[in-house]
Amino acid sequence: MSQVQPPSRSKKFSQKFSARRAENNLIYANPLPVIFPSPPPPPPSLLHRLLGISVSHVENPHCEGVLDLSTRSVWVLGMGDAMLLWQRGFFGKGDLSRSEPSWLARQVNARKQAKKGGLTSEEVTAKRRAERKQFKLDRAKAMAAAAAEAEVAFQEQGRVISTTYAPDGTRIIPSAATWKPTRTQEAQTGEPASSPKPEDTDDDEDDDEEEPIQNIEHLQLTLQEAFFLLWNLDCLSVLNPDTDTPLTLSQIWHAFQNAYIPSPTLSPSLNAPHSPRFDNPFLINYIVYHHYRSLGWVVKNGIKFCADYLLYKRGPIFSHAEFAIVVCPVYEDPADQESSPFNLQNASPFSWSWLSTINRVNAQVQKTLILSYVTIPARSRISEDVLSSPACFAHYSVREVVVRRFIPARMRD
Amino acid sequence: MQAHPSHRNLTQLLSKYPKAAGALFQVYNDLTLAQRWTEVEVIDLPDCQRAAIKGLKPSSDAGEPASVYVVLPCSLAESISTSWFRDAFASLGTNAPEAIFVAITAEDSSTVYYKISKGIVKPPL
Repeated sequence: MSQVQPPSRSKKFSQKFSARRAENNLIYANPLPVIFPSPPPPPPSLLHRLLGISVSHVENPHCEGVLDLSTRSVWVLGMGDAMLLWQRGFFGKGDLSRSEPSWLARQVNARKQAKKGGLTSEEVTAKRRAERKQFKLDRAKAMAAAAAEAEVAFQEQGRVISTTYAPDGTRIIPSAATWKPTRTQEAQTGEPASSPKPEDTDDDEDDDEEEPIQNIEHLQLTLQEAFFLLWNLDCLSVLNPDTDTPLTLSQIWHAFQNAYIPSPTLSPSLNAPHSPRFDNPFLINYIVYHHYRSLGWVVKNGIKFCADYLLYKRGPIFSHAEFAIVVCPVYEDPADQESSPFNLQNASPFSWSWLSTINRVNAQVQKTLILSYVTIPARSRISEDVLSSPACFAHYSVREVVVRRFIPARMRD
Repeated sequence: MQAHPSHRNLTQLLSKYPKAAGALFQVYNDLTLAQRWTEVEVIDLPDCQRAAIKGLKPSSDAGEPASVYVVLPCSLAESISTSWFRDAFASLGTNAPEAIFVAITAEDSSTVYYKISKGIVKPPL
């Protein structure tokens, strides 16, 4: 009865894993950009103890973004503000990265790849995908070879041999747990092509000059995220792209709605829309965004999974999204839908095949599909004057329906 | 946007097709700066009311060689149909490639690429 020693690799791995988790808990500790630092302990007086602890002040980072109408978004160009908005609440997305603005880090890595340490998240994912692809090829080859050998053995000698285990007990077909990438792949994955550097001058030479790379990435916030930050938390100011001056709240309210109305110019229209409508896509999407954000979910874009939004419990860093939201606007008055200049998606009932497709895509990635019905008030019942301010949100409602596929044969338990 | 270095390569086409400008700008940046495509050129397709991007996709780690692809940018807000794809293949002319990529952009700058082939194609093993 020998003592079973845990292999040293797994002990180091679990230590590294918990260290990474602790580090993430420190970096991503704040769920919102504004912080309420705990006040210093009150002086020991009876009056203070009776009144209770009060918040002494609020730390507001006052970030700045510029409105861009052709992409219908707000760009945060300063990297300090960008990282702050990402780390406190996962707002926005780096426009040259998969999530966190990491383009500059990846370019620097590509330069210093001879003596480098860690990889950025894109490179880690690329490496993992390449390894998995190679594992699948190896496994397919091994299965084909084992099957051919078993076939031959049966034909010639009439005996059946196992296709999974060789006579000496080792596995013929590799399993994901024990397969290791070979040396040649590791050399390949560590080798990136040289990246084009648009900011360098034309007569730049190839030798290692250590010229600092100019960061041309920005953090891109959707209009809904930007409005959430500036209206509820007052921590973002949006600049007019033409004049570089901050826009007032009512100018922003009008400009964001006008962004969805086709206009001949690319300058923001800061006046109220000629015919304001309750079914403006900005309003509908904002209502859904605000609904889930205010309940504590981290809301991100869901285009990768055929949905409108993805809900994360704490953030993309911590776990995969559990829910995929599809926004279904519902008109209280059908006449409004006919007269609508916006062709809102999913406002008419889905076809069965479309719903089935979206459900299947999300079921494959272990997400639950949620249909969020947003009720659009009727113009006949409520005057459009309420659209002059965000107070109009009180007239909408959001209801959720969860869709799961039921398979009678498999769901007996 | 005007201050961005990519803008000078695209100014004429951004103002010619303002509705497709956001998608073109985002996809151009993604391909040249993030995906590191080389020999990138922009093709004007008046019939599709937008510009397409042609370039050399770098070889991936799985060992595929670099090959030339055409990417057609569009945004999530647009509605497209099979006739849209047919027009795209027709506008690319007689030496149009067998397959093109459609790049769909979202407002938070997420871009998804779909490979569209002419006719039915059997998936690789």
